[in-house]
Amino acid sequence: MDGLNASEQREFQGRMEKKQMKEFMTMYSNLVQRCFDDCVNDFTTKSLHSKEEGCVMKCVDKYLKGSERLGQRFQEQNAAMMQSGQLPGR
Amino acid sequence: MSFLFGGSRPQLSSAEKIAAAETEVEMISDMFNRLSQSCAKKCIPPEYREPDLNKGESVCLDRCVSKFFEVNMKVSEKMQGEAAQKGGAGGGMGGFGM
Repeated sequence: MDGLNASEQREFQGRMEKKQMKEFMTMYSNLVQRCFDDCVNDFTTKSLHSKEEGCVMKCVDKYLKGSERLGQRFQEQNAAMMQSGQLPGR
Repeated sequence: MSFLFGGSRPQLSSAEKIAAAETEVEMISDMFNRLSQSCAKKCIPPEYREPDLNKGESVCLDRCVSKFFEVNMKVSEKMQGEAAQKGGAGGGMGGFGM
């Protein structure tokens, strides 16, 4: 990411935005699947029980918070690793 | 740039520079996604009793990230070691240093 001039940076930024959008959609889909798999196992009714709905809401909350925490720790570790010169060629 | 190895640095075109930057971001992003999946699976049991992370889950996630990075490094070191032993292929392992 070093050595890009202004117009290259802009192009790169644009691609990163698209990528972020895609990542967000993927995260969303995975979350739906995970919370469905874990919370919904009773098919005697057509719509969600309040218990299942409650479970799904808590699942989403928990996962988003977990994801946030993981992101923070990841950034810390990544920064520490870059600093200690673990990456060859840097 | 971590993917440039060998003696002299040739002049890369814009497209190549952007592609290299993109690849680097993709690798980091992929690592994060795998880490997230594994650590969430290992640390967050599927019961969802409350919407917040409890202390145990939080600490588990922290340690999971730390260990994941450590594993990543050890695997990379080992593979570089093996490649160097096989002779001369060490230059090709630049990308694993992450």
